[in-house]
Amino acid sequence: MRLNRLLVASLAVLALVAAACGDDEEDAAEAPAATTTAAPAVEEPMAEEEEMAEEPMAEEEEMAEEPMAEEEDMAMEMSFDVDAALDADLDNCGPAPTGDPFIIGFAADLSEVGGFADIPISEAAGYYVSLINCAGGVGGHPVALVIEDVQGNPEVAQRATADLLDAGAHVILGPPFADVGDAVLQTVNASRAVIFVASTEPVLPDPSIYSFMTTFSDTQQAEAAAQFAIDNGITRAITFSSEGPYFGYNPETFAAKFEELGGELVLDVSYVPFEDFDFASHANEVAGAADGTEILYTAMIAPQLDALRGAIEERGIDSIVYFGADAFGVSGITVIDNNEGVYWTDHGFGVDNNRYQRLNDGLAAAGMPSEAPGFAALAGDAITVAIQGFIDAGSTDPLAIAEAIASLSGVEAVTDTIGYAGTDGTPDTPVYILQIVDGQTALAARMQ
Amino acid sequence: MIDLVQSLIDGLGRGSIYALLALGIAVIFGVMHMVNFAHGELITVSAYVAFAVGVTAGWGWWAAVPLVFCAAVGTSVAIEFIAFRWVRGSSDFTMLLTSFAVHFLVQAIFVMTMGASVRSFPRPEWADRVWSVGDLNIQVIDVAVIGATAATLAVTVYLLQRTMFGISLRAAAEDFDAARLMGVRSNKVIRRAFILAGALAGIAAIFFLMRTGQARPTTGLSPLLKGILAAIIGGLGNMRGAVYGGLLLGVSEVLLRSWLPEDLVGITDGVVFALIALFFIFRPQGLVYVRSAERV
Repeated sequence: MRLNRLLVASLAVLALVAAACGDDEEDAAEAPAATTTAAPAVEEPMAEEEEMAEEPMAEEEEMAEEPMAEEEDMAMEMSFDVDAALDADLDNCGPAPTGDPFIIGFAADLSEVGGFADIPISEAAGYYVSLINCAGGVGGHPVALVIEDVQGNPEVAQRATADLLDAGAHVILGPPFADVGDAVLQTVNASRAVIFVASTEPVLPDPSIYSFMTTFSDTQQAEAAAQFAIDNGITRAITFSSEGPYFGYNPETFAAKFEELGGELVLDVSYVPFEDFDFASHANEVAGAADGTEILYTAMIAPQLDALRGAIEERGIDSIVYFGADAFGVSGITVIDNNEGVYWTDHGFGVDNNRYQRLNDGLAAAGMPSEAPGFAALAGDAITVAIQGFIDAGSTDPLAIAEAIASLSGVEAVTDTIGYAGTDGTPDTPVYILQIVDGQTALAARMQ
Repeated sequence: MIDLVQSLIDGLGRGSIYALLALGIAVIFGVMHMVNFAHGELITVSAYVAFAVGVTAGWGWWAAVPLVFCAAVGTSVAIEFIAFRWVRGSSDFTMLLTSFAVHFLVQAIFVMTMGASVRSFPRPEWADRVWSVGDLNIQVIDVAVIGATAATLAVTVYLLQRTMFGISLRAAAEDFDAARLMGVRSNKVIRRAFILAGALAGIAAIFFLMRTGQARPTTGLSPLLKGILAAIIGGLGNMRGAVYGGLLLGVSEVLLRSWLPEDLVGITDGVVFALIALFFIFRPQGLVYVRSAERV
């Protein structure tokens, strides 16, 4: 009996040892878990140091080289290729990644307030994440996307963000508007990075609390428009503005930059965003002040421009250059009739099968054509930034990821390259200036 | 002086759309004694129909006009059948809540199915055309909407005064139970009231959408508020008052737009509401007062 017990006990010990050894080998060879990727800096070198202390001197050189080799392996395993993800075939995916998931939480505004941005963004983000996981994830780690609806309401946003934190989100993607975005930031309380996907509001980014934007700010897009106008020899401007952060701030910033560059602001006309469509009196004002050589800059939506331009041209002023902010791109500038020659600032441009185009073509092929291709591309950018932060941190520690994002530079994303090093949290991404030429969207300039 | 005349013409064009909406609200209020907050959804549904016709199908306004009209009428009948029929006879508060529920439900359905983005569609080419008469610039669409409103009002008055439908509608408005005892079929008369309100909203939607060329889940909200306001100014439930209220509201907006300093133009609506509040202090019954029994 005693012999049997000893035999069973010995077999059990051997089995445990074998199992333990087997696990280590699998981890090292196949899919380093999040904690494994974090380990090189903390755990593994310590274990290796203990081994090294016992090894003969002759083996020290080999041991000294091993950590470097391991780091290289991990760097290779943890790299992320946007192109490989975009080229993934969802009908023919590789083995599913088995590591601990890298969790991206999205505090999305799916209401009628911010849904114009976050509905297409959430659809594109889900699709992009499925592509990434289809292509093997990030170093064997699947990417998980958790979406909570903030309903355009700061109080709901606080609860939704708390739910995302409870779900273990390593990075949070934020909604488009500052009031709700502030609620998200307060709830996160600088415990991890918040990346605002579609927002252009300059008040949101702040690297000291790990608040980042994915695209240019209103300041950048308005100043790029002013620079473009001056570069093209336009020296007189008319702005259409309204009180408020977007509809007022963009024309105001444009006018300030335009005048700083030597241009003259001829007229600023007030209007009501979304509501004014009878521009008879506005057009009379423009007709009284314009000589036809002006640029008319505004942040209004495309259907309003259609009505405004029609009213102005009916009064014999038909040579004004019309220039809008990125609202044009998501409110149907390509659909309205009177759009020939109109310029606007946008987040990217789909051409020559570039990433922007491939992502949107993929969405369309998957039966989810995006109503806002620019926002779909920004979803890809935001997720790419989060993943690059995860890779650079080599850890799922949210703070380490946030620090890594703050130091990113030259990240190859979907719209262009993105970096935050040395910025105020607004990326150093270019402003695309698009124009309708012969009824088609064309790239007029890329302003860095 | 020219500016004043110009503003009056622009204001009458804008106010005519408000008047058409106010007429529909007045008809429903007359029969059901309820301010129908779902009335704006007729515009929203019409806007998405116009988008589907203009962009998805690529047809012109020749196709959009009848389809938009039918969509408004159909939606109005559907709302009555799905929502209001089941709370008929309930308290005013219940019916008011029901109309709010329909309003938010339709809005949510569009957010879920169509997204919250602005959907643009082409406007008719002539919508921006202007006739110059001396120093006056008269927009063709203003003339069209003023004419259409006048014709619609004439037809509506004829319907209400000279047809069996109008008589039964007015009887139901005067005393619903007595009308039923006299043989007026309640379902029929209410359904027809919703058809009439839908037709009025459909005509308003055609001109509103020709001017705006956009659809979004909240498209109908602003016209709804203006329509309700116009109906209240005119004396809630009164047809003639609704038209006067709509025109007065439109003219007030345009005049304030041209008179207010440029910095204050953004608060035009706020000033209009403040003036209306003042108006009700001095004339709480509205522009045209009729005893409840005479409404509609």
